[in-house]
Formats: sequence, structure tokens, C-alpha cells
Amino acid sequence: MILLQWTLTPELLYQAGTGILLFLLVVAAIFSVVQKDLLMAIVGTSLVSLILSVLFLLLHAPDVALTEAAIGVALTTAIFLIALRKTGRYEE
Amino acid sequence: MDTFYYILGGILLLALVIAAFRFFQGPTAPDRIVALDAMSIILTAGLAMLALVFHRFIYIDVALIYAILGFMGIVSIARWMEKGI
Repeated sequence: MILLQWTLTPELLYQAGTGILLFLLVVAAIFSVVQKDLLMAIVGTSLVSLILSVLFLLLHAPDVALTEAAIGVALTTAIFLIALRKTGRYEE
Repeated sequence: MDTFYYILGGILLLALVIAAFRFFQGPTAPDRIVALDAMSIILTAGLAMLALVFHRFIYIDVALIYAILGFMGIVSIARWMEKGI
């Protein structure tokens, strides 16, 4: 009886998409923290910022999403890569 | 027309999950970087779809900035790997 009411409503699809994005966000953040290869940690940070921008748009905040995409994806990645060039790639 | 958007969103989420599997699984660095590029393109398509769903044309600008800066991020990582930066 309960299962018959579980049809594909728009709210269910919206919540499923938001849930998948939130799950990927948490997994990417944990991946970025525990990684010993620091280049992969930077790539994981870029992925976190990428998914977070889509989540800001889903919460109806396009200006915050625009700023997050500008700063998080390009600027933070470039600055971290310049810092990584001056230090070592692998963490001891 | 709404059914079209539901099918499109489901296909994009499936493609995102498959690319994320390669991102977290991939043994070498180029695997993960190419997976990140693929996820960036898939999410850009998702943003353009959300602009159609919500009927707000300001959301198209977010997709545009996102595409350009995502490309710049991938290019900077690729330049790092061939010792350019």
C-alpha cells in the first residue's frame, strides 16, 4: 500500500538529485582530506567547489553560485597549484 | 514537456555518478583529471537545464561563467603536470 504511493513526483526527483549531489560533496571532501598525493587533494577541492556551486543554484541563489564558480574553481586551484610547485607533491 | 525534463535530469545524474566512480576509483592522476573535466561538462549541462526548468534566464549566465572557469581550472592543472606553472 505504501509502495503504491511512491510514484515519481517532481518533489521526489528534486530531493533525489539534491541528495546525490550532497553525497558526492561529502565523499569528495573526505577524499580531499585523506589523500596523500597533494595534487589529487587540490583536484578534490576543485570538485567540492564545483558541486557546491550547483547546490547554491538549486537553493535559488545565482549570485552566490556565480561567485563560488569564479573563486572556487579557477582562482583557488591556480593559487594552490603555484604553492604546490614551490613545495613537494607528496606528503610525508 | 515536464516528462522530458525528468528523463533528462535522470540521465544527467546517472552520467554524473558514473564519472564520479571513475574519479574516486581511478588509480593514476590523469584518470581523475579527465573525470573532473567530464563532471564539469555534465554539471554545466545540468545548470542550463535548470535555467529552463525554473524559467529564469539569469541562470544561463551562471552556466556560462561556470563553463569558462571550469575550463581554465582544468587547463591550469594540465599545465602544472607538464611543468608549465
